[in-house]
Amino acid sequence: MADLDRRGGGGGGYNSKKRRYRDDNDDYGPRGGSRRRFDAPPHVRVRKQLIAIAENPMRPWHEECQAIANLFTDNWDDELLRSNFVDLVLQLSVEQPLKTPFLAAVVLIANADKPEVVDMLLAKLAGLVEKNIGEGEWRDVKLYLKLAACLQGCLSGDGVFPVLEELFNRAVDLQTASSEDTIGTEIVKIILLTIPYVMATGSPDEWTQKAADLMEKTEIIAAEPHALQALIEPYHPESGDENQQQTQSLMSMLQTQLQAEANSGWTLSCLPRPWEFPLKDVEQQSKVSNAPKHALPTIKIPQTVVAGSKPLFPEVYISVYSQQDVESVPPVTSVASSLIRDALLDSINILHFNRNVTARQLIDLDCYFAPRTFAPRATPFDRLREIEPPKSTWKPEDVAVDAVFSQLFLLPNPEQKLVYYHSVLTEACKLAPAAIAPSLGRAIRYLYRNAPRMDLELSYRFMDWFSHHLSNFGFTWKWTEWVDDLELNDIHPRKAFIIGAINKEIRLSFAKRIRDTLPEPYQVLIAPEKELDVPSFKFANDDAPFAGEGREIAALLKRKAPDEEIDTVIQRIQSQAIDREIDALVASTDVFVTSVLYVGSKSLSHVLAAIERTKDRLSDFGAASDAARTQIIEAVMAYWSIHPGVAICIIEKLLNYSILTPLTVINWALTVKAGKTLGHALALQEVYELVFNTVVKVTGRVRQVVVKVNSPDGMSDDETLALETKNMRALFVAIQDALTGWATGSKDEIIEASTGDGKSLTEKQVQRWGQRWLRVFKRRSAIEEAFLVEAGKEKERRAALAVETSEGQAQSGDVEVPDAPVDETANGNGAAAAATEGVAA
Amino acid sequence: MRGQRTTVERLDRPSAYFNSNKHKKRRFDKDQRDGDDDRNRQQSEQQDEEEHLRTATTLYVGNLSFYTTEEQVYELFSKCGEIKRLVMGLDRFTKTPCGFCFVEYYTHQDALDSMKFIGGTKLDERIIRTDLDPGFEEGRQYGRGKSGGQVRDEYREDYDEGRGGLGRAIAGEKSRGRNYDDDDGRLR
Repeated sequence: MADLDRRGGGGGGYNSKKRRYRDDNDDYGPRGGSRRRFDAPPHVRVRKQLIAIAENPMRPWHEECQAIANLFTDNWDDELLRSNFVDLVLQLSVEQPLKTPFLAAVVLIANADKPEVVDMLLAKLAGLVEKNIGEGEWRDVKLYLKLAACLQGCLSGDGVFPVLEELFNRAVDLQTASSEDTIGTEIVKIILLTIPYVMATGSPDEWTQKAADLMEKTEIIAAEPHALQALIEPYHPESGDENQQQTQSLMSMLQTQLQAEANSGWTLSCLPRPWEFPLKDVEQQSKVSNAPKHALPTIKIPQTVVAGSKPLFPEVYISVYSQQDVESVPPVTSVASSLIRDALLDSINILHFNRNVTARQLIDLDCYFAPRTFAPRATPFDRLREIEPPKSTWKPEDVAVDAVFSQLFLLPNPEQKLVYYHSVLTEACKLAPAAIAPSLGRAIRYLYRNAPRMDLELSYRFMDWFSHHLSNFGFTWKWTEWVDDLELNDIHPRKAFIIGAINKEIRLSFAKRIRDTLPEPYQVLIAPEKELDVPSFKFANDDAPFAGEGREIAALLKRKAPDEEIDTVIQRIQSQAIDREIDALVASTDVFVTSVLYVGSKSLSHVLAAIERTKDRLSDFGAASDAARTQIIEAVMAYWSIHPGVAICIIEKLLNYSILTPLTVINWALTVKAGKTLGHALALQEVYELVFNTVVKVTGRVRQVVVKVNSPDGMSDDETLALETKNMRALFVAIQDALTGWATGSKDEIIEASTGDGKSLTEKQVQRWGQRWLRVFKRRSAIEEAFLVEAGKEKERRAALAVETSEGQAQSGDVEVPDAPVDETANGNGAAAAATEGVAA
Repeated sequence: MRGQRTTVERLDRPSAYFNSNKHKKRRFDKDQRDGDDDRNRQQSEQQDEEEHLRTATTLYVGNLSFYTTEEQVYELFSKCGEIKRLVMGLDRFTKTPCGFCFVEYYTHQDALDSMKFIGGTKLDERIIRTDLDPGFEEGRQYGRGKSGGQVRDEYREDYDEGRGGLGRAIAGEKSRGRNYDDDDGRLR
């Protein structure tokens, strides 16, 4: 049931001009291809066809590849075409890697007529592998090697194996040097993911021994769990949880799968083999297999390899469709789970600049793997049961959605901003609603069921995605199926999820709209005040202490009265407070801040303008005492309790003005607010968001300074870095101290309020929230420390490199650019240093 | 391979808006520009414009409902990074929101990401449009239509509840070839 007319959709991102001549000779194929609207020059046609390769499920691969290869070789004299072809194949293999095997097939077929093209390609390919190894761009290394592996059939000697072996030697060096090494692990992953593509090139027998030798060696590294792995597990089960299913490290899983695949003769049934012709084309097949072989140019691998621009972490495999009675995605025992996931993730992360194309490729994913790898598109889950073996029950939509979720739930962070993965799911859902929406529904149910045992950060990512996703689809969800959970207390993780998600929906919309989307039993979750645009002003009521003074200050602020007039009222509040034996600073802070908020209640711009006008006084209040500073947050959160999003925004701005310090926020959230609520505040989404955002702000600041310190233009400021690092560490210590109290049930409030043994349900629930919070911020802290260590190493490396380069150049006397510049900026420094030395000499 | 044309179109490119000011093409499909950028433009102009926008941190956001609040815009656009400033587009006369705004980030990358991940998605249940903008200047927050709102709302023929119903000047005007761009608040 392939979606036959999907070419009309044109991948969403293609413009209409492109679409017009993209299909020039296959739309009218049966009638002889004579009705082209115009003849584009060959290089344009080859480009269009290569870019769109394999997108049409109705066109047999070998035909399509043959046609492109012929068009190319027939126009061999076109110089533009020749060079463009090679560059485009290389570009596509790192930009749209799902198409790599098909590109390789075109090259293999072209090799029969014009073997020179393979030499041109291999020369550039080898250079690119070398360059990317030097720069530590490991994904590109993997993708170029994948292309090379698919070309194994036309390579002489052992083809890509020598490169893989050399890479493995580096991995061993790295792993021997440090148990915390991640580059070595990454290299082994690349090796393991390249082997299957070699083995799928036609004559596996030839390479079985080579592959076995290599895999025997990789096993030691793959089986070793990484030190950081415990922190990046997506689940954080309670002790005593029966469902103690440990997620498997991607590496050990891959190693096991490949071993199994080797034992069953490398069937690799999911990989496409577009270079195989049907039996009737035996002549063509032998022409391709007997075409000349080429040597892969030597690829030099530097003695020290680097981590490159993307931080490397150990990876675990996660699926939201595990625990089903029918297998709708490849099981973790099958190598298909790794190969398909890996190919999809590369496409997803690379194509961030056009989510429409990403979504299109995900929906079309069955075009890029072997026929019969998947069940027909849009097969309802219930019908999978009726599929008879050996037919596949893997639902392409589930496989696609699973891949996106694996990024959304990747710790510590996926490559792109989370909202990118939201947008991919939104587009996929728009392109094929009938197919994708039910898959998303089952994913949501799985995640909701597992919310209590998920890592807390991931739980909130789920909530954030869920509310954002619904906002793109009219806020429709089958809320009725969770009605029973409304009976749970508010700090039960699932109830907390419902409350938080509804609040997030309201923030993207408005209370009345969301109320209309919810069944009756949910209505109580939206307080009537939420429908007010502007909160009430507590000083409008004469019963409130300092009501008169509050109104007076508000009036003065409104007419922008001079400071002295406000001073008078503040002094009056303070002296009254002293009479009443309450904290004068806290009382006057509360009245003043609440009045500023009231004056600015019309919109965020209004309140920000009001804060801007009063920031000096607010700073004075903030500086007066810890209690006063905390009161600023208390007043903001209290005034905007009906719309916590506004409060969070205001506090963020107050942090920017340094009216508040990050520590104040932590103290307010984890000690004051949590204390007052006996820890129940730990279950509130807005409290988590506030703390999390604050931590992100502080760690972001440190990272910014590190970048500056490491930048080549000498903006080094180690003192600032030391100070920022110290502050960050202090913040993490404060967070962990406060949370440890909650996690162990040793907070004073808990002990005082305890019914005795600390075993009551809510006490246990609060402890669990404390533990979940603690894990999030321990991880954050560990990640930042790891980042600082890496940054330190990087700095040393650059310095060493600069010295080395300048020495080398000073000796030889001529400025020689290394073949594979490891680092441009460092070389720049080196050259500059050499230049000055030259002058001195 | 840097600087090479990508094999799929990028969503973080400025639209043809700036150039189209000089070479306005007649458009008969009035909604053509909303959420779907028109790529017909001339190479040289494109370069000029990109020079201008290479470091842009501001986005123009169009096709908002008149009822969408600043808080909602914040909520959505913060997903791409902290917002430095938000300026709501206002009716020149009534000073009420008239369906567009400027979102300013601290970094260029956040603005690009916003183009890629938020432009063309829904806010307040409407598909919104984003475009890179060289930066807000006083005065640009006001609609430039005859009656104070955006030009596109003067001549709109369909009934759009979120944007004040029918176009305000629709009565006598139905001439073809009029430019329906929602270009208020934009640079000229």
